[in-house]
Amino acid sequence: MGLTASGEHRTVSYAPESQEGWVATRLDFLVNWGRANSLWPMPFGTACCAIEFMATAASDFDLARFGMERMSYSPRQADVLICAGRVPFKLAPIIRRIWQQMPQPKWCISMGACASSGGMFDNYAVVQGIDTIIPVDVYVPGCPPRPEGLIYGIRMLQEKVKNERASDKGIRDEMEPDPSSQLYIPPPVIDELGEPFGNSVNQTRSGL
Amino acid sequence: MARAYFPVLMLFGFVLLNGLLIIGISALTIRGRPTPVKQQAYESGIPAIGDARERFSVRFYLVAILFIIFDIETVFMIPWAVYYKQLSCFVPLVNDVCPVGHISFFGLGEMLVFMLILLVGFVYVWKKGALQWD
Amino acid sequence: MSRFEVVRTGASAPGAQPATQRNVQHRGGEANTSAKALQDKFPAGVKRVEVIWGETIVYVDPAAAHEIIRWLHDDQSQQYDFLSDVTAVEYRDAEVPIEIVWHLRSLPYRRFLRIKAQLPKGAALEIDSVMDIYKSADWLERECYDMFGIRFRGHPDLRRILMWESYKEGFPLRKDFPLRGRFSRSEQLRQALAQNPENRYSMEELTIADAFVDLPQDMRDRLSKGERTGE
Repeated sequence: MGLTASGEHRTVSYAPESQEGWVATRLDFLVNWGRANSLWPMPFGTACCAIEFMATAASDFDLARFGMERMSYSPRQADVLICAGRVPFKLAPIIRRIWQQMPQPKWCISMGACASSGGMFDNYAVVQGIDTIIPVDVYVPGCPPRPEGLIYGIRMLQEKVKNERASDKGIRDEMEPDPSSQLYIPPPVIDELGEPFGNSVNQTRSGL
Repeated sequence: MARAYFPVLMLFGFVLLNGLLIIGISALTIRGRPTPVKQQAYESGIPAIGDARERFSVRFYLVAILFIIFDIETVFMIPWAVYYKQLSCFVPLVNDVCPVGHISFFGLGEMLVFMLILLVGFVYVWKKGALQWD
Repeated sequence: MSRFEVVRTGASAPGAQPATQRNVQHRGGEANTSAKALQDKFPAGVKRVEVIWGETIVYVDPAAAHEIIRWLHDDQSQQYDFLSDVTAVEYRDAEVPIEIVWHLRSLPYRRFLRIKAQLPKGAALEIDSVMDIYKSADWLERECYDMFGIRFRGHPDLRRILMWESYKEGFPLRKDFPLRGRFSRSEQLRQALAQNPENRYSMEELTIADAFVDLPQDMRDRLSKGERTGE
């Protein structure tokens, strides 16, 4: 897939003293393999994408072959939060709290257009992308994404998991939001991204 | 005789070692990252309110107690069943078979008496309404 | 007939005609008989009657709306025992007043009636609540308040239901409310994250949930007056 994790620590150095030893790399491989192949999802399904998620978990597009058949509806036992569906503003503190209550290691898949960017609901009630309120690892576009699409996203997450290294000290640290705004993306960036396409910001329902 | 149970001891040892290894290695290698929100009780994403220690109905206790009593009754039936053949014979078994003419109903009668005593208790429980959930 | 008698299919109150309407006219069809009864009973309250696509709409004076709906519910020849919706309409034309709409259904008589009351926009948007007649009006009127800002007098618990209680941007379904809300996206997120859905309940109310009705009356009174205990 050509996916590489970002950061300078990913660059391979040839100096012998900075390379990881054989045991460390084998341990990394083992731990990552175990984590990637048993990601227990927490399906935070709010809308239509949840139906597609159920379809992916069902027999035709089986999620069990990826070790993900055990859904956890409690964040305490989940590895990956799959936000499937639109998130209204009223639900925002709840998904934030659920994310914060998941123990490390944890990842997040934003499934569908509504979770990734607000989707077709560019209005007063829907969060324009959950990455403003929780850190997201993989975005799966679609409305709803086909099961194959979601599986592609899950495989992408597995690649990300497999590329993690134990020597990466900060990787499991709890990502804190900006203390003043409590948001994960700087507010000016959110405002800029949230602008409607081509229309006036002050668009009223009657267009007047 | 005791040597036959040596595998049980080995199994016990392995289980103990396994458990200790899992907990021990986890405790030594894992670096926890607790946050205040993470420590709070999970209540579907809203701040947890109140003590979780609520009063609950005594019917649960009743069901549990009744289960224990009748379960122990069942447990007593197991060794009885193992020795049933010998219990139903007046003389020791010959080649694992009771000689003709020495069949007795001692074992059966004994168990029936036992069950009858417990049946009296069961009828009492029934009539008292302890089996009614509502 | 007694309102508690079972109405079997085809055996409803005498004179009722339960059937699917066919060849429905756009306007000017046959009106619901309740409309005529209303005009006779409340000549001042009923403004006009229209029949659109076979559904009868009765425009009433806002002051008389509660009395009219009470009569429609209580009267034996009307028996509108099912309130299926309370909503409001604001038209694009700024001159047209806001209409509050009640959808009433009579299960014994198999009838449907739409009552509309027009509130001029300049004055305060207030109307009497029908919650004392229909319990289902509770949340329906809360939704109407949340989306349009129409206050229902006599509603015991009129607060927002779809948006969070401390929502400050206004009333979303009004025509002067922009589609994306008044504040910037980041400000909306900040306010949404700061909401607390349980800030109005006392600790006792929350922990004992629907055991509330088992509480002694004086305790219920104290709790409903806002007493907070043991937090």
